[in-house]
Amino acid sequence: MRSQHHTSHGDETGIDLAPMLDFVLNLLIFFIITTSFVREAGVTVSRPLASTALFGGDKANILIAIRPNGEIWMDRRQVDLREVRPLVERLHIERPDDTVIVIADKAAKTGLLAQVMDEVKLGGIQSVAIGAGSTGGE
Amino acid sequence: MRLRRHFDHDDSTGIDLAPMLDFVLNLLIFFIITAVFVKELGLPVGRHGGGASGAATGKEAGSISVIVKDDGEVLVDSRVVDVRAVRANIERLHAQKPEWGVMVTAEQDATADLLVQVIDQIREGGVDNISFGTSSS
Repeated sequence: MRSQHHTSHGDETGIDLAPMLDFVLNLLIFFIITTSFVREAGVTVSRPLASTALFGGDKANILIAIRPNGEIWMDRRQVDLREVRPLVERLHIERPDDTVIVIADKAAKTGLLAQVMDEVKLGGIQSVAIGAGSTGGE
Repeated sequence: MRLRRHFDHDDSTGIDLAPMLDFVLNLLIFFIITAVFVKELGLPVGRHGGGASGAATGKEAGSISVIVKDDGEVLVDSRVVDVRAVRANIERLHAQKPEWGVMVTAEQDATADLLVQVIDQIREGGVDNISFGTSSS
């Protein structure tokens, strides 16, 4: 980035910035496009392992976590079971192609898991998956 | 960083790109830092209405019934099997009735770990049409 300061008689020898600018703009567009706005749950749970778990894809971006003591976490805060439905409704209106993954802790109860999945479906999102970790082989 | 291209007698009238370049670089750094590369894995399952008569309704609807009890027992087609044997049982039943799905009915207090293991075994057994419900024990 050496700019020519003595403008006397010789040729200009400064570096042309245009290719760098093109490259940086391309990088910028790439990162803007690939940014997915994931609604993280906000807590870590020890998820059950499954060998056939599928990668949810770019659309799986609302995560709901269920802790062993029955707490439900969504969008980085703890919510009540009755709050899940209005929250999902709001997010569904904002981005209609979102899908939900309910991540239940290994020790969480299936009764609560089923209730949360029901609330999500009542909130308007029909595509719900149970979160799982991948086993070592894959 | 301003490059003067015509350096003889008049002022330069080209647009100065340097502030824009600075701004774009800042945007780029912002998006690189905030990019979240989440790879979340999940098991897609449907839901069927719970109820005490999950097994009976399962048979009427034309599906293989799997029951997960809260003490860790797993019943495939009304027979108690080990978790690791679910896959073989499902493969056998799936070969007999290829068009049937599987209904997993879990009791309220069964752990999610066992449920996911059972669903995983069913998927390994070749059935993707899985629905999940709960029953009160």
